[in-house]
Amino acid sequence: MIELKQISKSFGKNQVLQSIDLTVEKGEVVVILGPSGSGKTTLLRCINYLEKPDNGQIRIGDFKLDFKTAGKKDIHNLRQRSAMVFQHYNLFKHKTALENVMEGLLIVQKLPKDEARRRSTQMLEKVGLAAKLDAYPSELSGGQQQRVGIARALALNPEVILFDEPTSALDPELVGEVLDVIRKIAGEGITMIVVTHEMGFARDVANHVVFMDGGVIVEEGKPSELFGKPKEERTKQFLKRIAPEPSYSI
Amino acid sequence: MSLDPGFIWTAFLSLFKALPNTLYITIVSVFVGFIIGTAIALIRIYRIPVLYPLASAYVLFIRGTPMLMHLLLIYFGLPIIIDGLASALGLGFNSTVIPLIGFAYISFSITAGAYMSEVVRAGILSVNRGQMEAAYSIGMTTPQALRRIVLPQALAVCLPNLSNNLIGMLHGSTLAFTVSVVEINAQAQIVAATNWKFLEAYIAAAVLFWGMTILIEQATAWLERRINKYNRGGVA
Repeated sequence: MIELKQISKSFGKNQVLQSIDLTVEKGEVVVILGPSGSGKTTLLRCINYLEKPDNGQIRIGDFKLDFKTAGKKDIHNLRQRSAMVFQHYNLFKHKTALENVMEGLLIVQKLPKDEARRRSTQMLEKVGLAAKLDAYPSELSGGQQQRVGIARALALNPEVILFDEPTSALDPELVGEVLDVIRKIAGEGITMIVVTHEMGFARDVANHVVFMDGGVIVEEGKPSELFGKPKEERTKQFLKRIAPEPSYSI
Repeated sequence: MSLDPGFIWTAFLSLFKALPNTLYITIVSVFVGFIIGTAIALIRIYRIPVLYPLASAYVLFIRGTPMLMHLLLIYFGLPIIIDGLASALGLGFNSTVIPLIGFAYISFSITAGAYMSEVVRAGILSVNRGQMEAAYSIGMTTPQALRRIVLPQALAVCLPNLSNNLIGMLHGSTLAFTVSVVEINAQAQIVAATNWKFLEAYIAAAVLFWGMTILIEQATAWLERRINKYNRGGVA
C-alpha cells in the first residue's frame, strides 16, 4: 500500500502541488488525469524522489519517510521501492536492451550475473522483445524502447511502478503495443500509478482514477463513476474536451 | 647553406634516444591531468562547497597563463616550498632528489588538468538529464550513476577533444627542454649544434612529431568507432 500525505511542492513562486493526499491499495492501477501543468507528473516524480517535495510524508509498504527530514539513506531506500517508466524512455544509451534491464539487478540488487541475465531475459520476453536482447536503444523503435523501459522497471520487482505519460512521445501507430504490455502487467496484480492522456486505457485498465487540476486532486473514484457521472464541474469540462461525446450518441 | 638530406636520417635515428622522455612526459601529464580534470569537472558541476571556488580559481589561473610559465613557476617555486617544509619538519631530504623530469610531470599535469576539466565538464553536461534520472529511478546512488551511466557516455562525447589535448600535450612536452630535460626537441638541438646542421635536425624532429600525431589520430578514430557503436542505429 502507498500512502501520500500532504505533499506540497513549489517551483519558485509557482505552487505545483498543494497538500496532496492519495492512497493506493496493493495491486491497484491508479490513473492520474489532468490538463498539463496540473502537477500530475510532479506528483509522480515525488514518489520516486526525482523531485523533492517541500512538505509531506510518504509510506510505501512498511517504509515511511518524511520529505522534510529525509536523508540520503532514506532517499536511496525510497527509490528502491519504486521504479519509473519515463515519457522519453530514458534507456541507458550505451547499453543494450538486455544490459539496460540487468543494470539495476546487478548494481543495485547485487544479484549474481547469471541470475540477473536470466531474469532480464524473462522480462524482455514478457514485453515481446526476446529477439532484441542485444540491440542498442538507437536501433529500436520508440515503442520497443518503451517496452524495454517497462521491462527494466518490472525486473526490479518494485512495490509500485510509476508510468509518466508512457505513450506521449510515441507515434500513434506504436501506442497500442505499449498499452498492451501495460495492460498485461496490470493484469498480473502489480501496483501501478499511471499518468496518461489515454482515456480509453484509463477506462479499461484503471481501478481508480484521479483527476488533478491546479495542484490539487479535484475528484477521484472508480472509472465508472468518474467517467460516467463526474461530480465536479471542472472534471466534466476536462472530460468533455478530451473525449467529446460521439456525434451519433442519442 | 645547403640542405644535407642524408643528415636528416642520421638525426632522425638519434632522436629515438629522447623518445622515451617525450612519451613519459606526455602520458603522465595527460593521465594525471585527466584524473584532475574529471575531479575538477565534478566539483564544478555539483558546486561542492569550499572546493568549488578553489576549482574555479585553478582553472581560471592555469588557463590564463602559458604552459611555459607553469613549468618555470614549479621549477623555481616548488624546491623552495619543499626545502622549507623539509627543514621545518626536520626531514632528511631536499629538493635535489627530485629528478628534473619530475618538474615537467608535475607542472604539465597541472596544465593538462585545467584544460581537460573543461573538456570533461562539457562531456558530462552533454549527457541528457534523463540518463541520471533513470539511474536514480532504478535505485542507483549518485556515484554509481556517474560511474556506470553518465561518465561512459560523457567520455564518448569528449573523446575528440581529449585526443586534441593529448596532441597538445605531446607538442607542449617540448617545453621541458627549458628545465634541461632532454626530450625530442632538446635532442634535436643537441644533434644540430654538434654537427652544425640545424634545419636537418629540426626537420627530423618535425617528422617524428608528425608521425606520432598521426598515430594518435588513428588510435582515436579507432577508439571512437568502438565506443560509439551504440549510436549506430541513428535514432536519438
